[in-house]
Amino acid sequence: MVDWRLFEPLFDFARRKSLWIVAFCTGCGGIEMPPLMTSRYDLERFGMMPNPAPRMADLFLITGYVTPKTLKRIIITYEMQPDPKYVMAHGSCPLNGGIYWDAYNAIKHLDRYLPVDVIIAGCMPRPEAVMDGINKIMEMIENGTADGWKRYKENYEYYKKNQDELFGEGWREREARRWIPWLMNRKKEE
Amino acid sequence: MVVVVETALKAVLILLYATFVGFMFMGIIRIVTARIHRRVGPPIYQPILDTIKLLSKKSNITHGLIYDFGIIYALGATILALMFIPLGSIGILRMYGDLILITFLLEIPMLGIMFAAMSSGNPWAGLGSQRALLTLLAIQVPLGFAIVALAESYGTFSTYQIVMAQQSMGWSIIHLPLLLAAVAYDLVLQAMFGKEPFDIMIAPGEISLGPMVEFGGKHMGILQIQHAIALFAETLFFSNIFLGGAVITSFASPVLNTLASLGVLLIKQIAVLMIAIFMGAIFPRFTIDQAARFYWKWPTIIAATGAILAAL
Repeated sequence: MVDWRLFEPLFDFARRKSLWIVAFCTGCGGIEMPPLMTSRYDLERFGMMPNPAPRMADLFLITGYVTPKTLKRIIITYEMQPDPKYVMAHGSCPLNGGIYWDAYNAIKHLDRYLPVDVIIAGCMPRPEAVMDGINKIMEMIENGTADGWKRYKENYEYYKKNQDELFGEGWREREARRWIPWLMNRKKEE
Repeated sequence: MVVVVETALKAVLILLYATFVGFMFMGIIRIVTARIHRRVGPPIYQPILDTIKLLSKKSNITHGLIYDFGIIYALGATILALMFIPLGSIGILRMYGDLILITFLLEIPMLGIMFAAMSSGNPWAGLGSQRALLTLLAIQVPLGFAIVALAESYGTFSTYQIVMAQQSMGWSIIHLPLLLAAVAYDLVLQAMFGKEPFDIMIAPGEISLGPMVEFGGKHMGILQIQHAIALFAETLFFSNIFLGGAVITSFASPVLNTLASLGVLLIKQIAVLMIAIFMGAIFPRFTIDQAARFYWKWPTIIAATGAILAAL
């Protein structure tokens, strides 16, 4: 059998150079993406591609503030992605609440619910700042410190406790029943 | 025994060459599209890096046996199609490569991907598969007429004999009936590549990549390899039947002859690819009913005219 650890440097190079982005553009911040993708800043130079499907995504970009309603979708989208996966929070709001620091209905600290690898501060960060954050995550993949997907597995109790505190126990099943009722009903019959 | 080993070696070499050149074609598509947008674009080896990354994912999601099988089915059908197409003087099954068989084998991979996508149960995948099926249905009519025109004109269905006939009487596209057939076939090729005017089945913004939405990790990696080989095979088939193929016998050594014919074929394939890229870059996307109506109108009329002229 081949020892795949020998190829880890090559795999890390490939992971670094081909980050496919799933962008969760909640409120603001989505407008920073078009200049990044088009001819002004051209992220495709680094092999990055915007991608609508979470199943083949590597980098999960969360732009703007997060509310409990969007956080449910963010967590489910995050768990759909195959490992290794990286999360980049974009803007001050996921970091500490930003201008919503005293809002009753915004998530102040995203990293209590999901492991975030890189946070870009700013309201809003310019595309240059986003590119700086992308450079940072590439460096972190190279030296192996972008290990959010490992931390999520190791500290799952901590993240799950925080998520359950916010949404109440059994929120996944409730959500799933609302989205895919036919699937849940079939499971009940079996 | 020696013949078996030699054939197996040949098959592996053809497969490696096709995969490598196919990945380069995917890189060329991305670079040329980027230059048309006035961007720098990724390096040419970017699709290879993407594939390595996808194959090295640490977790995989599967949705059952059909989901795994459909992808292997698509890859296998593409490889089989590649073996039937004459590749210069090499090509293992080139003597048996019949026009109808090769076009059939080049369309089969789409069915395999559709099986896999449908079995995942994702609504986007189902919608995308429906559209892919309708596109497949729409391209059959002009494709059939183009093949009838070819067979009528050369009096044979064998791809290899058509290539040989073109060495004495010039490329197919210098004859008017076959030029019409080539135009129709090139429009069909646009849908087979999944390029812009007819890529509604994999529209990223509208239906989240359609059939591809559930594939991730190793499944998507194998599909990338399949796409590379399919790009190579489809361009190779077009340059064989319409652009004269390549049978070079001017050198003394057979190795030089083979290399020269591979080079000539490569130039013709890149020309076919460039037409597809330019068409894809400048035209917006058709909706599915517009695409079907288009295929059943203009390419069908052009190809049918070609077939009638060839029969006269």
